[in-house]
Amino acid sequence: MGATFVITLREALEASLLLGIVYTYLDKIGARPQFGYVTWGGALGLLGSVGLGVAVGVLSGPLVELGPDLIGLGVTFLAVIVLTWHGWWMRQHARAIKGEVQRRIDEARATQRFWIVGLIAFSGVFREGAETVLFLWGLMAQATITGGWGSLVGGVLGVALAVALGWAIFRGGQRVSLPRFFAVTTWLILLLAAGLLSTGIGRLQGLGWLPMTAPVWDTSGLLSDRSLVGSFLSGLVGYRARPTALEVGAYLLYVVVAGALLAGARRPPMRHDPDPVVAGQPALRV
Amino acid sequence: MRAGFSRPARRALLVAGLIASALLQASVPALAADTPAEIALTIEQHRFQPEEIRVKAGVPFVLAITNKDATPEEFESKDLRIEKVIPGGKMLRLRMPALKAGTYGFVGEFHEQTAKGRIIAE
Repeated sequence: MGATFVITLREALEASLLLGIVYTYLDKIGARPQFGYVTWGGALGLLGSVGLGVAVGVLSGPLVELGPDLIGLGVTFLAVIVLTWHGWWMRQHARAIKGEVQRRIDEARATQRFWIVGLIAFSGVFREGAETVLFLWGLMAQATITGGWGSLVGGVLGVALAVALGWAIFRGGQRVSLPRFFAVTTWLILLLAAGLLSTGIGRLQGLGWLPMTAPVWDTSGLLSDRSLVGSFLSGLVGYRARPTALEVGAYLLYVVVAGALLAGARRPPMRHDPDPVVAGQPALRV
Repeated sequence: MRAGFSRPARRALLVAGLIASALLQASVPALAADTPAEIALTIEQHRFQPEEIRVKAGVPFVLAITNKDATPEEFESKDLRIEKVIPGGKMLRLRMPALKAGTYGFVGEFHEQTAKGRIIAE
């Protein structure tokens, strides 16, 4: 039971954290009516996961052998793109947060960026979803044959705890002040996206489309990325115990470039302040 | 709520599309290449058979993984950046890149205590 619990928790955690963050984000900018974007994105991700899981389980042949890898790669890079974009958008938005709630909604609505949070929800759920579906499906099959219900219960509890953690972020996030929430999640999302990018690069190396290189360092003795803490850090900030040069390079390059972009996106309001709201100008220009 | 995409949105979709098509194109030569040597790997009772696979360094190969168990297993190698679920009772061919000489561990992620093995390229 313990083993299956850890596996599903690990697989579902990243998606759940992302959902928690984007829901909180919408709540913070006063866009609760737009929760549907995230809910639909997540639901479509789940639907896609079940579809892919069933396809892999039922079909066979080269398409099934390579297809999931291609889809996984596509979704990983898509997640990097939408997260980067969202981080940048949040930075832009941060200057409008002093305004009235209604103004904020109008601005966000006017820029029509809600589908980005939908895409984030979709890619977050879909990325590891198919694996989790296949895993739980297997547990269910096993349980009906041999009665190993403990494993299935463990697996379901793992997903449940992940969801609870996402919910905790949502509840906790409501109590955190808005600027602090923006600051923390912007940088968290930056690191998360950097980790996803290096994961994508690693996958390309695994497929042989990029040359495989020796690990730059080996901290698997210190903190294995197979351990619970290690895999959480791996999902959150892209920790690797034995990263290749390309992975490290991609990670650093992303952090530097996207970090500069985000830091740059924050500078204008400092110059344009004291108060864009008083000036009667829409503070959000994207 | 308007459904239309803004211009940056369209641009992002275009970029995503380009990446996707680039990936697809990259996969075509891989599919068309000569079939490399196939090495059989079986999963039974949540164990790999054989647990040690020896391959020639620098030559790509194919792992034909048969899962004889009723439950799915995930062939995972952190060293090789490979994660692949093999449903119960199925066989999957996994194209492996040319490996540098060395030892590469793999596990069955769903039954990690028992399902362990390594590939030795020499």
